[in-house]
Amino acid sequence: MMSDQFRKVEPYSPKSSPRGARSPVVSRQDSSGTLKTTISLGKNPSIVHSGPFYLMKEPPGECELTGATNLMAYYGLEHSYSKFNGKKLKESLSSFLPNLPGILDGPGQEDNSTLGSVIAKRPIGGKELLPLSSAQLAGFRLHPGPLPEQYRYVSATPPKRHKTKHKKHKHKDGVPPGQETPLQDSSNPDTYEKKHKKQKRHDDDKERKKRKKEKKRKKQKHSPEHGGLTPSQHPLP
Amino acid sequence: MSSPLENLETQLEMFIENVRQIRIIVSDFQPQGQSVLNQKIQSLVTGLQEVDKLKSQVHDIHVPTEVFDYIDQGRNPQLYTKDCIDKALAKNEEVKGKIDSYKRFKSHLLSELSKTFPNEIAKYKAIRGGE
Repeated sequence: MMSDQFRKVEPYSPKSSPRGARSPVVSRQDSSGTLKTTISLGKNPSIVHSGPFYLMKEPPGECELTGATNLMAYYGLEHSYSKFNGKKLKESLSSFLPNLPGILDGPGQEDNSTLGSVIAKRPIGGKELLPLSSAQLAGFRLHPGPLPEQYRYVSATPPKRHKTKHKKHKHKDGVPPGQETPLQDSSNPDTYEKKHKKQKRHDDDKERKKRKKEKKRKKQKHSPEHGGLTPSQHPLP
Repeated sequence: MSSPLENLETQLEMFIENVRQIRIIVSDFQPQGQSVLNQKIQSLVTGLQEVDKLKSQVHDIHVPTEVFDYIDQGRNPQLYTKDCIDKALAKNEEVKGKIDSYKRFKSHLLSELSKTFPNEIAKYKAIRGGE
C-alpha cells in the first residue's frame, strides 16, 4: 500500500510529466482509460490496436500443409509404405545384397571394414588412377601353391552360397575347394547377367528333381512290394 | 538408358566380381596364372576409373549416415527406411490428432463462451471474420 502511494502520479506536480505515465508517442484514442493496444518491443517495435479485447493478437497465417494432411499420400510415398509394411523384411544384410560374395552379416568392426571408418578417416584421394606399369606389376609376382590355412579361413564364403555353388559345378575337375565358380569376364555386363540367369535355371532344375523324387517315394510307399526295404534291396524283376 | 545409380551399381558389382576372381586365382596360385592375375589387376584399376567417372552423376544423392550404422552392423538398410516411414506416420497421426483436438476445443469454448458472454463473443466473431 505504501509503495502504491509513493508511485501515485500527482497530475499537477511539477516533478511529473505533463502527460502522466503515458508515453507521448502513443496517441490515446480511448477515453475510458482502458488499454486496448498491444505494444511489441524488440527489433521491430509495433503498436497494434486490438479493439475491445486484451492481449488479442493476429492469428497465425494459415499454412497449406500441416500435420492434419496425410503426408504419405501428399508426397506420393504410399507405394513405399505398402512395400515396407506389407511384408516382413529380412534382418540380414545378405538378404539385401544377395549377389555379393563373402560373409556380409557380421559386424564390420571385426575386420575394420566399417563404412563409418571411411567417413571418420577419409582415404587418400585426388590422385589420378593409372594402369600399373610392368615394373609395378612385378610386385604382384606370386609363388605357386595354396594360401596358408589361416588366410583361407578368412576368405571363406558363407555356407549357403558354398552349397549352391558346389552343386552347380561339381563336375569341374581340378578346382580346389572354395573355387567352384568358374572365372568369368566381369568386364562384360552381358556375361555377368548370364551368371544370375543361369543360377535361376539351376534352382528350377533342383525344384523339379525334388518333386520327381518325392513322387517316386510316394509311389514306392503305395506299391505292394513296399515292406521296409530300401530301393537297393528291392529284388530285380 | 539406365539410371546413374544403376550404372554405379553395375560397376561396383563388376568390381567386386573381379576381386572375387583374383581371390580365387591367388588362393591356389599356379605359375601360368601370372598373366591372368596381371590382367585382373589392371582391370581393377580400370574398374576404379569407371567408378570414379560415375562420381559426378551421383553427387546430388544424399545418404543419411545412420544407414551406414545399419550396414556396419550387418543389418538390412531397408529396415532404416521402414523405421523412418513408421516414425513419420506415427508423428503425422499424432499431429493430426492434436490439430483435430484443438479445433474441437476451440468450437466448444466459443459455444460455451457465447452462452455466458454473448455480446463479447459476437464482437470477437465480427473482428475475426466469423471464425
